[in-house]
Amino acid sequence: MEKNQICKDAIVSELQKKKVHLFYCLECEELARNIAAESDHITLQSINWRSFADGFPNLFINNAHEIRGQHVAFLASFSSPAVIFEQISVIYLLPRLFVASFTLVLPFFPTGSFERMEEEGDVATAFTMARIVSNIPISRGGPTSVVIYDIHALQERFYFADQVLPLFETGIPLLTKRLQQLPDTENIIVAFPDDGAWKRFHKLLDHYPTVVCTKVREGDKRIVRLKEGNPSGCHVVIVDDLVQSGGTLIECQKVLAAHGAAKVSAYVTHGVFPNSSWERFTHKNNGLEEAFAYFWITDSCPQTVKAIGNKAPFEVLSLAGSIADALQI
Amino acid sequence: MAAISPATATTAASLSLPQFTSSPSSPSYLNFKTATFGNRCVKCGVRSLENQSGHRSLDFLSNGDPISLINPNSSSSPISMAAAASESGSKCSKRVCLFHSDETRDLAERIVAQSDCIELRSINWKKFDDGFPNLFIQNAQGIRGQHVAFLASFSSPAVIFEQLSVIYALPKLFVSSFTLVLPFFPTGTSERMEDEGDVATAFTLARILSNIPASRGGPTSLVTFDIHALQERFYFGDTILPCFESGIPLLKNRLQALPDSDNISIAFPDDGAWKRFHKQLQHYPTIVCNKVRMGDKRIVRIKEGDAEGRHVVIVDDLVQSGGTLIECQKVLAAHGAAKISAYVTHGIFPKSSWKRFKLDTKGDPAEGFSYFWITDSCGLTVKEVMNKPPFEVLSLAGSIASALQV
Repeated sequence: MEKNQICKDAIVSELQKKKVHLFYCLECEELARNIAAESDHITLQSINWRSFADGFPNLFINNAHEIRGQHVAFLASFSSPAVIFEQISVIYLLPRLFVASFTLVLPFFPTGSFERMEEEGDVATAFTMARIVSNIPISRGGPTSVVIYDIHALQERFYFADQVLPLFETGIPLLTKRLQQLPDTENIIVAFPDDGAWKRFHKLLDHYPTVVCTKVREGDKRIVRLKEGNPSGCHVVIVDDLVQSGGTLIECQKVLAAHGAAKVSAYVTHGVFPNSSWERFTHKNNGLEEAFAYFWITDSCPQTVKAIGNKAPFEVLSLAGSIADALQI
Repeated sequence: MAAISPATATTAASLSLPQFTSSPSSPSYLNFKTATFGNRCVKCGVRSLENQSGHRSLDFLSNGDPISLINPNSSSSPISMAAAASESGSKCSKRVCLFHSDETRDLAERIVAQSDCIELRSINWKKFDDGFPNLFIQNAQGIRGQHVAFLASFSSPAVIFEQLSVIYALPKLFVSSFTLVLPFFPTGTSERMEDEGDVATAFTLARILSNIPASRGGPTSLVTFDIHALQERFYFGDTILPCFESGIPLLKNRLQALPDSDNISIAFPDDGAWKRFHKQLQHYPTIVCNKVRMGDKRIVRIKEGDAEGRHVVIVDDLVQSGGTLIECQKVLAAHGAAKISAYVTHGIFPKSSWKRFKLDTKGDPAEGFSYFWITDSCGLTVKEVMNKPPFEVLSLAGSIASALQV
């Protein structure tokens, strides 16, 4: 009897699952395939991405008739300003093709660190990006859902207008799962490079002891110091939402090592790494002790993932499963 | 000289003569100096031409006839060229602070030179390492209560986001009004869905622009020249006020100054161009071409009109590869045209396709063009074709300066 009930529940919950047709930008093809592999309910669709001679996009959405009445999603990556317009053109059109609902999956929301006007004249490009996204037309399913991972500033959730439904996800569960697999899992503590990172993440990681760093002004320089916690003898994992040049992480690693950390690793959701700055972290195999034992990033920034490949200490934790689940919301 | 209505040459006496300027650094330019009298804009055209010996000569417009003064948009502009400007003294109706993108600096400077009412402002355009823009609007507090404009150029998708960030920010800085001047509206040719699945990027761009926030002056005004398809005016929502201008008056002025101005016929490469422009060019004999399907090929034919012995000027809104113009040239030459020239408002010329257009030096219109006029809507092209016959650049500066007074 109980078994029948479990089967029935399983069938019902399967039936309640949404079939989703997933379109994607060219950069994201691998992640899109991984998402589709996670679930029978997600089907990949395709777009012809071409350019006219003047550089403007010449796009065609294949099988546009077949997505009528279907749940549709688009996996985007705004890795540079140049690729925004072509993806936005598709994003603005898909909801209007009589689809049942539309979801934009934008794992990494760029410009996130430029979200303030400190002086009149500052241009907060994060707000420009939020406006552009907020202007996605509604579909028969109502406002477009926008799935974003570890948005840089908590206030940014309010930059979006009511015409879209932002869904803020996080990559941290991927990290905690990975940490549990490590041989020295009992000896792990989490370090935050600044108060901002602590505010963003400490609640998700409260089962680990924490260390908080901070930048202190000394004359002209800004120096990273330990603010709270004791890394001595531990495997310290520095956690932040993104990495650009990597300067902050390197400074933190030095301070933690100086305070006796046995090993230092890092996790960022978004490995932005402009100008191949990830090269500062690779193991050089030159006999010198390596600064970082592990460096975890997700596949939110596909260009970086392609460039890094399998080079130690990097490990890529895929968002595919998390995204596949988010598409069922 | 500065009278406005056709019948009132006598009113000229009551107005002071505007200053004429030559442009030492850009002999291929037609500059229009704007003299403002009260609320009316009066414009006079000046042409400085380099003749064969390299001397520059200052010519006044043909016969000084008031009719030949430029009215940038005779069909729809509220810029009034009504009877005699009765107010004397030059006062600005609107003082405007003009910001601009990197690419449009030259045109912005020309616009500012047209009018005492327009002041150039600047923005720091820098980038972060990740390629995203790091922008700062200088003296943002100084524009409070001022009329503000931004001269944009979306020459490629890559430069849209940085300009859009400024365009979305400026109206919210307590300015009294905001105008976006986008001389060339790109994607204009991608404005239809023939198949379900076509992505009409013109509509994407119109949406993005329709989303510019309102300022204290109400909806943003959008000034654009010779938009590709007449239907595109309806792609914009009511949150924005598009102002559709044309470069044709610049062409008409230039044609009147030619020695063979009475032997000119206008040719349209297709019905689309005829629909867009024939009303502005009614006083010239016209020739209309079209493309006819023969098997797999599409061949340009003359549909109506007679080219024999005429100086034919092919008119269109834009040029890309130039293929259409060259096909028209061949057909017109085969039908006896004496000289062939071309005018397009927007010289896009991707991949330097302007190099296909040679000067006719031997009186053989099948081999070359006598003139190829473009405006300065596409700044990158202007840099490349400057001083290279048959190209001549007609500046939109005067027309934009007037539009900013609307």
